[in-house]
Amino acid sequence: MVMATSSAGDVFDNSRRYLDQTKIQSALGMASELGASYAEVRLVAITDSSVATRDGQLERAIPGQEVGATMRILADGAWGVHSTTDISSIPSQVESTVRLAKAVAKRRGINDKPVSLAEVPIIEDSVHWSPKKDVRNTELDEKLHHLKVLYENSKDDKKIASVICGWHDEHIHTEFLSSEGMNRSWSFQRSLINATVTARDGSDVVSYRTRHGGEGGLELIESCDLGQLGSNAMTSAIRLLKAERSPSGKMPLVADRDLTGVYIHEALGHPCEADLVAAGDSCLDGKLGQKIGNEIVTVVDDPTIRTGYGAHPIDDEGLDTKEKCLIKNGVLTEYLNHRETAHHFDLVPNAGARAQDGLHHPLVRMSNTLIRGGNHRDLDELVEDIEYGVYACGSRGGQVDTGRGSFQFAAQEAWLIENGELTNPLKDVSVSGLTLQILKDVDGLTTDSRLAAPGFCGKGQTVPVGDGGPIMRIKEALVG
Amino acid sequence: MLPDDALERLIDGSKKIGDLCKKNNVQQWEILALQSYGHELDIEAGKISLAAGGGDGGYGIRVVENGRYGYAHLVDINSAEYAINQAQSIAKVSPSIEGFSLPSNQPTDGVDGLFDKRILSLGPEDLLQQADSILSEVSSIDERAIVTGGGVGVSATAGVLLSSEGIEHHGITTSHGVGVQVSIDEDDQLTSSWQGESSKQLLTPVPDCIKSSVEWAQKTRDPISIDSGAEDLPVLMTSEGLAPLFSVVVPSAIRGERLARLESFWSGREGKNVMAKDLSLIDDARKTGAKASSSRDAEGVPTRRQVIVESGTLVGSLWSTRDSAKLVGEGKIDHAESTGSASRGGHQSPPMTSCSNLELVSSSKSNTQDQLLERMDTGYIVNSVMGAHTANPTSGDFSVTTSSILRVEDGDIVGAIKQAGLSGNMAKSLQKDVFLGDNIRVSGGSMYLSDVLFMQGLRVNPA
Repeated sequence: MVMATSSAGDVFDNSRRYLDQTKIQSALGMASELGASYAEVRLVAITDSSVATRDGQLERAIPGQEVGATMRILADGAWGVHSTTDISSIPSQVESTVRLAKAVAKRRGINDKPVSLAEVPIIEDSVHWSPKKDVRNTELDEKLHHLKVLYENSKDDKKIASVICGWHDEHIHTEFLSSEGMNRSWSFQRSLINATVTARDGSDVVSYRTRHGGEGGLELIESCDLGQLGSNAMTSAIRLLKAERSPSGKMPLVADRDLTGVYIHEALGHPCEADLVAAGDSCLDGKLGQKIGNEIVTVVDDPTIRTGYGAHPIDDEGLDTKEKCLIKNGVLTEYLNHRETAHHFDLVPNAGARAQDGLHHPLVRMSNTLIRGGNHRDLDELVEDIEYGVYACGSRGGQVDTGRGSFQFAAQEAWLIENGELTNPLKDVSVSGLTLQILKDVDGLTTDSRLAAPGFCGKGQTVPVGDGGPIMRIKEALVG
Repeated sequence: MLPDDALERLIDGSKKIGDLCKKNNVQQWEILALQSYGHELDIEAGKISLAAGGGDGGYGIRVVENGRYGYAHLVDINSAEYAINQAQSIAKVSPSIEGFSLPSNQPTDGVDGLFDKRILSLGPEDLLQQADSILSEVSSIDERAIVTGGGVGVSATAGVLLSSEGIEHHGITTSHGVGVQVSIDEDDQLTSSWQGESSKQLLTPVPDCIKSSVEWAQKTRDPISIDSGAEDLPVLMTSEGLAPLFSVVVPSAIRGERLARLESFWSGREGKNVMAKDLSLIDDARKTGAKASSSRDAEGVPTRRQVIVESGTLVGSLWSTRDSAKLVGEGKIDHAESTGSASRGGHQSPPMTSCSNLELVSSSKSNTQDQLLERMDTGYIVNSVMGAHTANPTSGDFSVTTSSILRVEDGDIVGAIKQAGLSGNMAKSLQKDVFLGDNIRVSGGSMYLSDVLFMQGLRVNPA
């Protein structure tokens, strides 16, 4: 049976270690004896809770406790991986996982480089980002109170057909041991509240989604004006009922910080992931040090911004996280990397490895990605000299083809810009373009850059991310 | 792959949790236990980059007391009593739904083709050989083509559903999947295509999707320029291009709850025409060997073949036990009962109403691609879209981007275009002048769609 067993059925906590250190160290040693050049075991224990209400009534509340571990073994320059919820079975899987890695290595072509890892400091410690108010101590009644505030402020119009509110919190505890002697544990929490407001007028139905959240506990939710969040969502949903279909064609685009964040995440962030670059699937291959954007564009990815939904203290290869400057004044300065790609490209490791949970192996991922602020005072200044264009707000998500460098993102609502003024509301606006063109076409940024609403990023595995920036103007984008 | 006693141990674990529920005087309880094992290979940059294996699983516990329900999930069976207490305390603060109780045990027949013994015996070396065959096939079709991403995987899942109402359902299903992103990067021009295939049964060593992926990477090279600006023209969506959009928009529109709450673009259209008169939409959870088939749904109700749209008229909708009781209790609908349409994302999710294998069929004669192109005259073929998940399931509106698009003039393909926006409304596009191809394929999870020619309602905006 591949399921975890423990001596007690208690809630996961920081003081407890779930991996039997002696047995795991012995397993890692065995991997080395069998010919592995590197081995690691990473365990993640998650205590989480999801709550949903519909029109103010509890729809479902789901508390859960999950634990999983992944063993990665590098042998003969290739990876073998074993993931399991049966933590005690890990030592018994060492031999087969080494064999797996060696079988992959045998298929390597003569021109293919064997996998090697960049050297990193070996650290033994525990790092815990403690929230001010631990979500594990938050009662369901209190969560329902906050959801009710959000609901009450988003329903007050006869055209509102329904309001679905959601809550998710999680405490993430990770343990990491490697054959190099790394022995770390870390923990942090994330909290999120959201609402989807549906409005109806005759046969027209629209919906608007709003979210607030980040790394931290209950204090994150308490710090948000949920009444305003709900009221804004309701106003937007009602406005969408009257909105016109978006014009199509190439035109100037102004994006709020939500969309700016999604744009930079999709258009630049993904092509900057060094595993995609190494796989030949990035339009930024070979462009380090080259100017790829307007000089007003500076982009960072920073997991240490504690309020961001993508914040985490240590990456999933055991490295301390830090800010990465991807573009400095239009010049591509850094790829996001993990130890394998850092070695592949002869770069300094920058702690970009993230895994969805304990059952997945780490990939190169973003965390909190944002464009730095520019020189424009505000939205008015950005739109004043646009004759005909679109101001797009709120994100419905996006996608990128990193190899071709083409991307798409969709707005929740938008306005037409006519002669420097916002005029008619628009709906179903999407924007597409080519990364290497559109970074050059960013020609205006307001001064205030900050993270926008929390989001999720999929790359085979789903991880929480934060995106944002200032309000941004692109002189020509394909709007549809 | 799967230990011989995996199912027995799951049954044993479920019974232990059931006994704890009885000990805690839970009125009604339901235990879902799942355990998956599998192997997978990742392919990057034309080579196998990683081999992985393992297993995961857990338990989900639903309790119902006086029409109120609570849920909790766990991995460690020693936490079961704690989880039961959590679920009970949640049930106490949940609203009571009149008439809601867990389903009783009703007889049903099995569905064939959900388990393939050959998959169970596959090991990592078999997958390595399959990956070798795929890589070799790609370069034999076009020596410029490289598999830049994707992989091969097999899994087996043992599942148990045990309830206080006498349901004891268990079984093993298997799965085999292949997906590849093929790129051709030559002369400063990179084209690529993603295609995948998965089945409950063993796939052939080199499934058809491999050849198709190379062909689309080839077909989209040397793009032509179209200066027309945005045009409302006929669009032939291949099954692979349509399924991601279709799966975002249509399944939520046919959920009974959304229809009754006026949250579906088909709300209020029951008994009325919603699609072209030759089209029917069927949710068939009993389709032999299909991706989302099962003999019982996620709460143990026997599944069925459910006609949703018949000859263009909306005649059905999907319900789970709780949704039907709730909406009747709220007075939103006079009568509803489970259609065996509850599903779950895993042991972490309580049952939710969802479609199974959704098929779009036509009573008219199906068309070859040549016939569809002749009917189209001038328009586009779209084989994949970016941003399907941004489609609006409430309104049916979508605005996506495609780099796998071919221009058709006078019934002939005249070339690819580099990138284009594609927008429209799925509900409106399905209302008239829709023509289906002759080759139904499963795409986008469990959407059984042929190539579909939309003669109206779509706008193409070449970059």
